[in-house]
Amino acid sequence: MGTLSSALNIAVQAMMADETALDTTSNNIANANTPGYSRQTVNFVEAPPVEFGGQTYGTGVQISSIVSQRSAVLQLLLNQDTQQQGQYSSFLTTMQQVQTLFNETSGTGLQSSITGFFNALQQLSEDPSNTTYRQAVITAAENMAQNFNSSSASLTSLQQNADASVTQSVNQINALTPQIAALNAQISAAVSTGQNAGSLMDQRDQLLNKLSGLAGIAEIDAGNGNITVTTTSGAALVVGNKSFQLTTQADPTTGFEHIFSLDSDITSSITGGALGGALQVRDSTIPSILSSLDSLAANLENSLNTINQSGFDLNGNPGGNFFVPPPAGGSGAAAKMAVAISDPSQIAASQDGSAGDNANVDAMLALQNQPFVNGQTPINAYSSLVFQIGNDVATAQSEQQASQASIQQVQNQIGSISGVSINEEAANLIQYQQAYQAAAQAAAVISSLTQTAITMFSSSH
Amino acid sequence: MSIRVNPNVLPDLVSSIEQAQQAAQTATQELATGRSVNNLSDNPAAAASLVNNNALTSENDQYLTNLGDLQGKFQAADSALNTAVQLMTSAISLGTEGATGTISAADRQVIAQQVQGLQQQMLALSNTTYEGTYVFSGTDVTTQPFTQNNASPSGVQYSGNSGVTNVSIGDEQSMQTNLPGDQIFANANGNIFQALNDLVNALNSGTGIDAANEEVSQAFSQLTTQRVFYGNALNQVQNSQNYLNQEQVNLSALQNQLVGADMTKVIADQSQSQTAEQAALSATAQILSLPTLLTYIK
Repeated sequence: MGTLSSALNIAVQAMMADETALDTTSNNIANANTPGYSRQTVNFVEAPPVEFGGQTYGTGVQISSIVSQRSAVLQLLLNQDTQQQGQYSSFLTTMQQVQTLFNETSGTGLQSSITGFFNALQQLSEDPSNTTYRQAVITAAENMAQNFNSSSASLTSLQQNADASVTQSVNQINALTPQIAALNAQISAAVSTGQNAGSLMDQRDQLLNKLSGLAGIAEIDAGNGNITVTTTSGAALVVGNKSFQLTTQADPTTGFEHIFSLDSDITSSITGGALGGALQVRDSTIPSILSSLDSLAANLENSLNTINQSGFDLNGNPGGNFFVPPPAGGSGAAAKMAVAISDPSQIAASQDGSAGDNANVDAMLALQNQPFVNGQTPINAYSSLVFQIGNDVATAQSEQQASQASIQQVQNQIGSISGVSINEEAANLIQYQQAYQAAAQAAAVISSLTQTAITMFSSSH
Repeated sequence: MSIRVNPNVLPDLVSSIEQAQQAAQTATQELATGRSVNNLSDNPAAAASLVNNNALTSENDQYLTNLGDLQGKFQAADSALNTAVQLMTSAISLGTEGATGTISAADRQVIAQQVQGLQQQMLALSNTTYEGTYVFSGTDVTTQPFTQNNASPSGVQYSGNSGVTNVSIGDEQSMQTNLPGDQIFANANGNIFQALNDLVNALNSGTGIDAANEEVSQAFSQLTTQRVFYGNALNQVQNSQNYLNQEQVNLSALQNQLVGADMTKVIADQSQSQTAEQAALSATAQILSLPTLLTYIK
């Protein structure tokens, strides 16, 4: 049976529920522009009814929960795209500098000095006893060697930059994982006591997204509000309320930092994020370019040396090494390329020992069109390298654009679920305001009825 | 219920402005450089072809320089041999004069001295140099090819060699650039120095003048035969220069195809991207100033 006091109770409960709803709406409006904020909604439910005398009476309204509107799946997609985006951005940061080293469209690169060297040989072939022409060959060879030296040095220095960013990324990762572990603890505590963990989850999502920008990670829902985070290859970063630091240690031969997780070297298994991009440039892309340059340099040096040794110099003496012999195996040949002769007469242009014979310098010149660099002519070997570099950059650029577009799309989807709409909140505001006013009015009416009853009883005295 | 959309439209709007700006920047860069490929990544295949194209262009420039040099050398040789032909013509007329029956012994001596003089001039011609090296000493270009040597039957000794030089004048193309001096001046089929020496001796002694004249004629015709080599060489230089100049024009056209900007298209792109940017800006301004529900709540 309904009573005036239960009716008053229902009205006051309704006012409290509407206050909570207004509070939530106000919080949504306040955080409309807060990055990572997910809008929250209140769930009104009927209070449990009571049965009395075969009748069921409603007992008013309750707030069952305040729910943060989010999609874990979309967040995961966003993080995956962010890992890609991070990797390509970091790869491109270095590779865009690499491609300017070989920007043949603006005349930078090795082509002109390689061709310049062969042109000098060509000129000498026309007048092999001409000392000026001989000097020009040596100058052109030195110029070519210097170009190889400086290209190689610039690549190594860019490789070192990438190495420095590896350490930076590891430090940033190590700063993020303890924060995620701490939030795991807070969230699971909140979840177990049935509290709203929405804003803690917002914070954790933000941190997971930052972490995704740094490295490829896998997120596993460990239940009870916990998220386990590992690298894509499975090295633990965060488990429950514990975080695991990555450590770095310089490789004794290369001097480059290797990354360790719990004492095992995980460098080669890291992909994605800024760290993955920097490692790709440092350990794969630049070494491959350096090795192509080394091979080109070593083949040029060895072939020129062999031919120079088989001829006779201007004084009729057998020729020696034209270039300082490259290191065995060719590694480092570009960095160390140097001309061995300084006296122009030592170029063995002649095959029969006479000063005007050009047969040996012709043999040197013929190298220009011979496929002695891994099956390619020197210029073709170089232009293949130029293509490779340009193609690597172009591919990464289009992948980066694709992941950027994908991020934008996922963010729109996330926004459609989690974003605060001012119009929606304004409508809610009016709705809750009116409900609150109605409940207050109901309380006033019941209060007045109670007063009537009290007056009635006191007058009957 | 309708599908909820992302209430935050700003990132999309900013991104469309950025895209339009990016396109405008690309077009401006192409206009400024005149090239559609400014980085290797713009067109890796074209950039790689450009490397080969530039190398060929530079190679051809060097071939053209070499041909210019060779032309000078051939002209020096040809001009020396032209003078040699004139000397031989004089020798033939002097020999004919000396063979006349009415001439006195004293006059023949005078003629003999004149022929002797021709021989000295011939010796100087055979030692012609070009840019510091001997033109007619085979590949032994630093050794003077012909020296006076009275012990030799011809009065002259050849110290050069019989080497010939082949010089590249294009890819897979080379030409012989010299004739050894002995082949020109001391050929077995007509030895100039021997013939002149014999004529001097015949004029001095008064016997065998006709035979000596015959010898001089033979040497003369041998000289004109050999001289053809340099005439042909000069023609070949001319042909190769024409070919290479045409090749340079082709390479330059190819380069333009590879990396040159299509100016009409670039200018159209630029104005299009400007229009797109203005449209994006105007749309952004309009969307951002749209009223919300709050505007109408009084």
